Amino acid sequence: MASFATATRLSARLVGRRVAQDAASRGFRTSTASLAAQNFTMPALSPTMTEGNIATWKVKEGDSFSAGDVLLEIETDKASMDVEAQDDGILMKIMQGDGSKNIQVGTRIGVIAEPGDDISQLEIPADEKKPSQSAKKDAPTEKGEPKQSASSDSTGAQKQPRKSGEKAPPQKYPLYPSVAHLIKENGLDESAISEMTPTGPAGRLLKGDVLAYLGTVPASRPEEIMKRFNHNAHLDLSNIKIAAPKETPKKADKAPVKEAPVPEKQLVSLPVSLAAVIAVQAKMEETLGTFIPLSTFLERAAQVANDALPLPSNYKPTADELFNQVLGLDKVDRKASRGRYLPQIAALPPSNFTGVAPKPRVKLDIIDFLASSTKTSTPKKRRTPAQPGMSTGTNFFSLTVPKDEEKRAKVFLQKMKTVLESKPGNLVL
Amino acid sequence: MTSSCANQSVPILRSAHHIRHAFKPFNTADRRPIIIPLPELSSPSCRAGEEAMPARQPLKHFTDERDGSTEEKDLVIIGGGVAGYVAAIKAGQEGLKVACIEKRGALGGTCLNVGCIPSKSLLNNSHLYHQILHDTKNRGIEVGDVKLNLEAMMKAKETSVTGLTKGIEFLFKKNGVEYIKGTGSFINEHEIKVALNEGGETSVKGKNILIATGSEATPFPGLEIDEKRVITSTGALSLEKVPEKMIVIGGGIIGLEMGSVWSRLGAKVTVVEFLNQIGGPGMDTEISKQAQKLLKKQGVEFKLGTKVVSGDQSGETVKLEVDSAKGGKPETLDADVVLVAIGRRPYTSGLALENAGLEVDERGRVVIDSEYRTKASHIRCIGDVTFGPMLAHKAEEEAVAAIEYIKKGYGHVNYGVIPSVMYTHPEVAWVGQNEQELKEKNIPYKIGTFPFSANSRAKTNLDTDGMVKMLADPETDRLLGCHIIGPNAGEMIAEATLALEYGASTEDIARTCHAHPTLAEAFKEAAMATYSKAIHF
Repeated sequence: MASFATATRLSARLVGRRVAQDAASRGFRTSTASLAAQNFTMPALSPTMTEGNIATWKVKEGDSFSAGDVLLEIETDKASMDVEAQDDGILMKIMQGDGSKNIQVGTRIGVIAEPGDDISQLEIPADEKKPSQSAKKDAPTEKGEPKQSASSDSTGAQKQPRKSGEKAPPQKYPLYPSVAHLIKENGLDESAISEMTPTGPAGRLLKGDVLAYLGTVPASRPEEIMKRFNHNAHLDLSNIKIAAPKETPKKADKAPVKEAPVPEKQLVSLPVSLAAVIAVQAKMEETLGTFIPLSTFLERAAQVANDALPLPSNYKPTADELFNQVLGLDKVDRKASRGRYLPQIAALPPSNFTGVAPKPRVKLDIIDFLASSTKTSTPKKRRTPAQPGMSTGTNFFSLTVPKDEEKRAKVFLQKMKTVLESKPGNLVL
Repeated sequence: MTSSCANQSVPILRSAHHIRHAFKPFNTADRRPIIIPLPELSSPSCRAGEEAMPARQPLKHFTDERDGSTEEKDLVIIGGGVAGYVAAIKAGQEGLKVACIEKRGALGGTCLNVGCIPSKSLLNNSHLYHQILHDTKNRGIEVGDVKLNLEAMMKAKETSVTGLTKGIEFLFKKNGVEYIKGTGSFINEHEIKVALNEGGETSVKGKNILIATGSEATPFPGLEIDEKRVITSTGALSLEKVPEKMIVIGGGIIGLEMGSVWSRLGAKVTVVEFLNQIGGPGMDTEISKQAQKLLKKQGVEFKLGTKVVSGDQSGETVKLEVDSAKGGKPETLDADVVLVAIGRRPYTSGLALENAGLEVDERGRVVIDSEYRTKASHIRCIGDVTFGPMLAHKAEEEAVAAIEYIKKGYGHVNYGVIPSVMYTHPEVAWVGQNEQELKEKNIPYKIGTFPFSANSRAKTNLDTDGMVKMLADPETDRLLGCHIIGPNAGEMIAEATLALEYGASTEDIARTCHAHPTLAEAFKEAAMATYSKAIHF
């Protein structure tokens, strides 16, 4: 008899779970509120039970029952057992009457409703599982529902059409105090919880999630915060600047490809008129009383022009960049990089200027002056506007570069020209 | 990874036992392509264009092993500091054959030997001394002659330190970790040469290598550290006498803690800080201001927004030329002892990283990926020597995570929830984001504060300086950060850390029962103040 008692207890537990499940699944049917009745299926009363006979129903159709009441008596080949209700409810309909034989575990045998439901208004839910399907039997311990494999108790609820599966699994641990409080305060039931989208660590339901569900805060808010937390949770390895290799063996191993000696040098040059710059300079001195040296204009123009230059034709990604790519840190495909050019500037006598023939570069003070001014940050104040060797009209900007960088250098000079000729005012304002 | 074939190729070993051992799949979950050619195959999975290595031809550097002189470990750890020793113990527990190389002669690294632990000893004992001198009388305890015995105080400190470092040595033995006392340097990416402390040299090979060499104090350009008059935190822990005047360059946590110690013991301490706030950039500005006020009350002088231009240590005292950072009037300060506490830098010298082809960034940090792998995927790096805050508990977390990556393929450290504590009196502790950070990033927040002056326990302790400050999302109430200044802040921050880790709202904290009367009630009341109203304020 001990085994019988055990089996009965087991059955009771199983029924209890089943009922809770049904209650949970009701919550998902938000569109059809009338669909509050639940299928009641043949329970598995022992681990090996696959089918059974219904001896008698102890509750009549339409009768209410309360937790602990015996609903029906089931016979198996071994014993006959009572099935107790774990929750209060109404037996809405009996699908398999007294004396039905060989009913597969999981087959619908009746329909139950919540206490207080008007059963005349309730629809009878569709049979979730046709008896024929029960042929593919899973472990009989599984609540008699072969479709629910080894997942958690309320997979039955999850099986219901969920919105694109965005909801996380139900909460398996105690709710946070604030969450429990809000749920009680707002009269939400258990089923509402599974409708909420948890944004806490490991799928935990947070106060914000309940508030978002209630519409008190914007629905997207908890997720935004979650994203921020997820971001902060990781080390920022995105902007690593690799130190230049030391001159020791390291350098021998992997000299930067970019700086590999290229024997062939090329002179690239372009005529640029500084007239617009001079005009702006004069205007600023006149109106604002500040004198901005030409060097400032040139320096800033070079800064602008150096931005996003096309890569040299022989450019190969460095080991660092490749490594970063492997890590997924450098997702942007490099098509351009920042240059480090400073043009050499010389005035050309108008008679000599043909516009085509590159002049041999002339070393001038301005070059050193410009070159040093980018290295040291000490601002060069107050210079005479007339630089030796520079004209207020057209000047010749030139660069000597490796052959591979010809295009890069040309783009740089062209950009210099555009900046200095069209809108030099922008450089200082 | 272009050389993955060569990296992972396995020598021909003599016995079946060895072979089995050599193919333990430690890198099973490594996402990078790891190619482990079986001895009888000639690495068929090598990519085209790479030279497939004939399996029957032993590599040169494996010949040692055939002679039996160098044994290959599952894991070799360079550095026995917090990161290294925790990793070593964890690896031992996970059943790895592990060796840990440490040159100090004592385990525990900076933290145990010349950092967190000895400083806490001095902080605690100097606080007691200071209290007896200035405070106990109000409490009805009259003490006669109070004398400082610095030598004994240092001895108490050393007892604590020795006990703890010996404890680690015991744990090494217990978990089967081989402890190699010496200085390690890479021979190649699989082999490490160790110059033994007792003389001689050995080498050790590892299937996995963990770099955990830590950090050292950043020197101040123009001042030569002699650890007597110009000192780092190391020297500050073992001064032979209390200096009359002391200047601390750098008002971060280390500077303020050591400044506090010597100020309590009687030195006139001036802190010179380049930034406009003390405690470093992580400390909430409001809390930082309060800390400064309280420390000033204890006698520590502050010069904020001030930079040290140059130093001269040739004379009787050390002279510093300082200048307002914004260009004010220059000034000359002098002191018996100058503590340089401007930060710490990764320590990799002598490690010969280049022999393993490893890279460091511009600040000297060893470059890693999110799984702590360096350029060579079997070499990982954790702790101060790489990225992230230089904190012992962060290193400890990383150590466990790194071993889990090696052994199980997944590890985790939540870098957003790492607490910081400054052990001055009152203590300052924080976790999560601070107010200026949220402001800067335009993140909305609400604040709740509760002063310890309204806390019953603090009142009875006559220790009521400070407050708890909480920052939370104004809409969802999720806790974003917590900042505490006050008695026992360092212990109390654990609760905030737990709350953050679990994504708690301040209401969750407020609805959790806190014992009465405790300081922790202030924490609860601050949470109440954040989401609704505090009861006792």
